[in-house]
Amino acid sequence: MTRKVRLHVGTPKTGTSYLQHVLFHNRRLLRRHGTLYPADRFDAQFLAGLDLLRMPWGGLEAQAIGSWDRMASSVRRAQGDAIISHEILASASRSQIGRALESLGHGRGTEIHLVLSVRDLVRQIPAEWQENVKHRAALSYGAFLRQIQDPGREGRIPSWFWGVQEIPDILERWGHDLPPEHVHLVTVPPTGGSPELLWKRFVEAFGLDGIELKLDGERINPSLGSAETALIRRINRVVNESIEPAYYRPLVRELLAHQTLSRRVGTPRLALPPDVHPWATELQESWTQEIRRRGYDVIGDLDDLRGAPPAKEYADPDHPDEGLVSSAAVDALKAVLVDHVRLQRELGQRDAELRDTQRSLERAYLRPTYRWREKLVRRLESGGSGRLLMKAYRRARGRSSRSA
Amino acid sequence: MSRSQESSDLSQREREARAWGWVAHLRDGGTTPWSKWGTAATAEEQSGRYLPGAQQLELLRRLNQLRLPSPELAERVLATSAPGRGRPDLGLVHVLAESAFGPPPVDPAALPADELVRVATSLIAEDVVAAGDPLEPRTPRLLRRRYRLLGDPRVADCLRDALIADGRPPGGRRATVVVMGTDLSSMLVNLWAARSAGAGVRPWPEWLAGVMRPRRLPDRIDLAALAAAWVPRVGANRVHVVLDDARRAARLAGVRRRLAVPRPLSADALELARRTAPVVGMLVTPERRTALLRHRLNPVLAAQPGPSLRIPRRHHPWLAQHTTDLRRRLAAGGYAVHGTLREPAERGGVTAPDDDRVLALAMRVLLGAAIGTTLAERPAEGEAM
Repeated sequence: MTRKVRLHVGTPKTGTSYLQHVLFHNRRLLRRHGTLYPADRFDAQFLAGLDLLRMPWGGLEAQAIGSWDRMASSVRRAQGDAIISHEILASASRSQIGRALESLGHGRGTEIHLVLSVRDLVRQIPAEWQENVKHRAALSYGAFLRQIQDPGREGRIPSWFWGVQEIPDILERWGHDLPPEHVHLVTVPPTGGSPELLWKRFVEAFGLDGIELKLDGERINPSLGSAETALIRRINRVVNESIEPAYYRPLVRELLAHQTLSRRVGTPRLALPPDVHPWATELQESWTQEIRRRGYDVIGDLDDLRGAPPAKEYADPDHPDEGLVSSAAVDALKAVLVDHVRLQRELGQRDAELRDTQRSLERAYLRPTYRWREKLVRRLESGGSGRLLMKAYRRARGRSSRSA
Repeated sequence: MSRSQESSDLSQREREARAWGWVAHLRDGGTTPWSKWGTAATAEEQSGRYLPGAQQLELLRRLNQLRLPSPELAERVLATSAPGRGRPDLGLVHVLAESAFGPPPVDPAALPADELVRVATSLIAEDVVAAGDPLEPRTPRLLRRRYRLLGDPRVADCLRDALIADGRPPGGRRATVVVMGTDLSSMLVNLWAARSAGAGVRPWPEWLAGVMRPRRLPDRIDLAALAAAWVPRVGANRVHVVLDDARRAARLAGVRRRLAVPRPLSADALELARRTAPVVGMLVTPERRTALLRHRLNPVLAAQPGPSLRIPRRHHPWLAQHTTDLRRRLAAGGYAVHGTLREPAERGGVTAPDDDRVLALAMRVLLGAAIGTTLAERPAEGEAM
């Protein structure tokens, strides 16, 4: 039976992809150290989250059917500790959380430790809009900001944003009946801090100290600049009608956003507008006070959540520098062309293989014995008694399929 | 602890006790709205890890108003969250302290019907899956006419399903290609209806606006293009376009006896199916989802009365233009055309589903006989067969 389950439920954009990458690629090593990271593919725990939340995800949900129960069952069976990590879980409802905790053995001897990694709203707000844009959204940054500031929080955008970002609410939903010392907050250091610091905090939160984990692999889910995000948004507006989600993901999100535009690191970054900054920092401060009051275990420093002061030169993605958008578009077009050439070459190679196969088949068909057999079968199939004979022959031969 | 903190905690406990009292009242079949509820629960009634959300509680209250649900259904309603993205489970107004975090609490009676439909779709999806897969088709007959059925999804899909069940799967060498059709306005509604049982389709007004934007018809109902695509493959003499004549289409596919075509779903039933399909898709594979929607949920929805869906008048010039164009292309195709393409039907009905009626329908489905039973598919009282 599992003794301790460390359940990491978010928040997005806090180094979760990197953490999950390391955990997945070291899962055998972790197992040898008595910790299960249940995943047979990189996105296994994401699929489990989709299943728990009953959340459609561009067709990916078909691969998620029953995956939460399977994952929970493997956790219950395992001897030792287990780690589960996906930021999508932050948005779970109380009833879904109840089901999740029960399935992991909560209340039946398993010690659940909730882990939430958190970052200041000054960085989270622009990052969330960018993530929306990379998931086909076409709404402007201004519209996004207006929607999330609306106290009613109605609609998909604000519901999702607050569901995965409002730290006291997430902790209240997930940690409702857990002792505060079993709720661990990992704070993301401010911009410019040591990149190893966050990893050290994760190591502490997940009890990974003393395990020689391989930390290779680049950081996943890189961010885009302001002009680059504006370009993706413009692309969304014209392709959303014609490109299905299954093609959008590899072409726009992966090829254009992640593999091409995120490499343009010298352009102005996306930031919080100066007029929204005071609202965000004030809200963040009220959250910090509430977290202090509840007495959770903080790994890092709650002062990390204060956020940087407003940017001196704000690059508005709704009115971007058109020169930068143009040069980003040229880079994007180049990437598409290079990829197209690669596919053309692959297609040519496949064509050649297909022609070879066809020629081999034709040679086989040209053999006189094949032609005699084909003629005989055709003649038999044209008459009632012949068909019966063929049926008997096929049955005797043990072949279940019939000729078309 | 300070005196004010103690008094605040006490008041919070009292408010929660009142909410638990309402939960117990609804579990017992009560119909009093939250705003008029004042009785606190006894200690043993305050059970559960958390208070159910306002959406779940209000849905249960509305079900109680309609007919008393079984205790099992009542518990399922209280424990089921709305699927997918959207508003989370909401708190009850006057229970949580005003400064609490999370989405603002609400008066459940003021929730839009759409929020309750979201919860209901999750429950209906579970019932659809619990009804089990439709029967396996019989082994293919050796002696059967080879055919392919294309065109208007309402009749073509249903006829194909009936033929497959009868051991006559489509395809094969020298197949007769039967392209089925009716007037364009009906085919557009039927096409949206067919997609509602699939991977997901946008709401009717948005989908229709998207269809009207390009200059060409959607591929699935462009009868002339479908027929033209098959002429080079099987020859013009094996391609038939059949308009408003399911019987002739069945004969061309090799069946002489009459096959039943199910009644079309109402606008609200189509919307409920559209919203339930993605949730069923979270529970079973895409192939099973479509089969379960068509053979388990749709017969239940077809038995429920409701206004049919029609195309708004402002789109009639578009329809008239494409009807003329389609007639011209069918006449020039060189294949057999049985019947005449009718003018777009001027029929009654509504131009969009209505959330309140969709909710009422969803509740009738939840309270009705189990999905998958003949009883559930019995037409509503007073409706002509």
